[in-house]
Amino acid sequence: MCALGHYLEQAGIATTGISLVRENAEALRPPRSLWVPFPLGRPMGSPHNEGFQHKVMSAALDLLNHEHGPILEDFGEDAPDGTAQDEPVVCPVSFSPSVEDNWHNRLTHEVATLAPWYAMGLERRANRTLFGLSGSPVEDLAGKLGDYLDQDQLPTDNLKWFKRAIDDLKVFYLEALTAQPGHHDSAMVNRTIWHETAFGRALRVFYDGLCERPELKNFARIVLPRAALHGRPEGDQPTEIKP
Amino acid sequence: MVRLSDLPEYEREHLVGKNMAPLHPPAWVAPVKPLREQRLALITTAGIHPRGAPAFEFADASFRPISTGVALDELVMSHSSVNFDRSGFIEDVNLVFPLDRLRERAAWGKIGSVAEVHYSFMGAGLSPDAFERSASQVAGLLKQDRVDAVFLTPV
Repeated sequence: MCALGHYLEQAGIATTGISLVRENAEALRPPRSLWVPFPLGRPMGSPHNEGFQHKVMSAALDLLNHEHGPILEDFGEDAPDGTAQDEPVVCPVSFSPSVEDNWHNRLTHEVATLAPWYAMGLERRANRTLFGLSGSPVEDLAGKLGDYLDQDQLPTDNLKWFKRAIDDLKVFYLEALTAQPGHHDSAMVNRTIWHETAFGRALRVFYDGLCERPELKNFARIVLPRAALHGRPEGDQPTEIKP
Repeated sequence: MVRLSDLPEYEREHLVGKNMAPLHPPAWVAPVKPLREQRLALITTAGIHPRGAPAFEFADASFRPISTGVALDELVMSHSSVNFDRSGFIEDVNLVFPLDRLRERAAWGKIGSVAEVHYSFMGAGLSPDAFERSASQVAGLLKQDRVDAVFLTPV
């Protein structure tokens, strides 16, 4: 992001922008940058909070009035959490570990359980979804991932398909688990996906397998987030790694 | 609230590890007219694009144009990183790509006008200088569109 600012200014276009990690902006020194204390993934602060988003944009655009730079300013306000007073919406599905069944059945059963919630999420969001970049139905994605695991194989024959498939499944789970209106604790939802679902366990198996191959270690880093590797509560160890 | 000091050590170490030296020579465009007369474009590094446009690859310095008339609900995300929360973008595109906010500021006379085309990159897995070529291509396109200034959003 900082680099784009530099190259655009070099070409004669003025830039201003948001920085989510102050230390990175301090080091790279882009021409104009407004540091905001918001989580990664939320540069404008709060969803559907037009007033607050304008406040952030206004502070960043004001930097365009400066005659000299570089400028790094702090936006001193935390992002309001729309319904922070309310209890977060609880997970609508109970994920029971049925390790007796094979991976194919466990994963396809899980997405079938979530399908009505995904449909409800679609309805609440007026049919907006991030699902679909793989071009395959969700049950096919889940089944094929399960087949790889049942055959004890890594998807090295089609890493591009694998990445699109797991990204599609992640947004399917995310949209299903946040289908209900109300305040969603995104950290809690992500913890549920990584630590309570068969899909989360499946990704850990793939991650471990990919990490054993030196040439695939970098790829493993775009399979499972750091929080899924480090964020397990004490005592919450997987009951099994492979079926 | 997220500040580096609030994050777990593994996350802090990772993010601080992304600190890079400034690019040289320093670049700066001083304002030549007031903000209320400037034409603005958005550029995001969130790896978003209209559904149907080519998805971003694992590490990719290319860019995707986004027409100012795009239906925001048609924008999807193929960013390869798994280390940021997508739930906010699922709820509200403007949280990452604030095109409605920019349009409103133009309607209120706070800025001069909104560019015809905006651009999306994917900021992951590459060194800053990998973006030099595509950034200069985008600069040329912005000039054709008479854009004065750009508002950059990361993810």
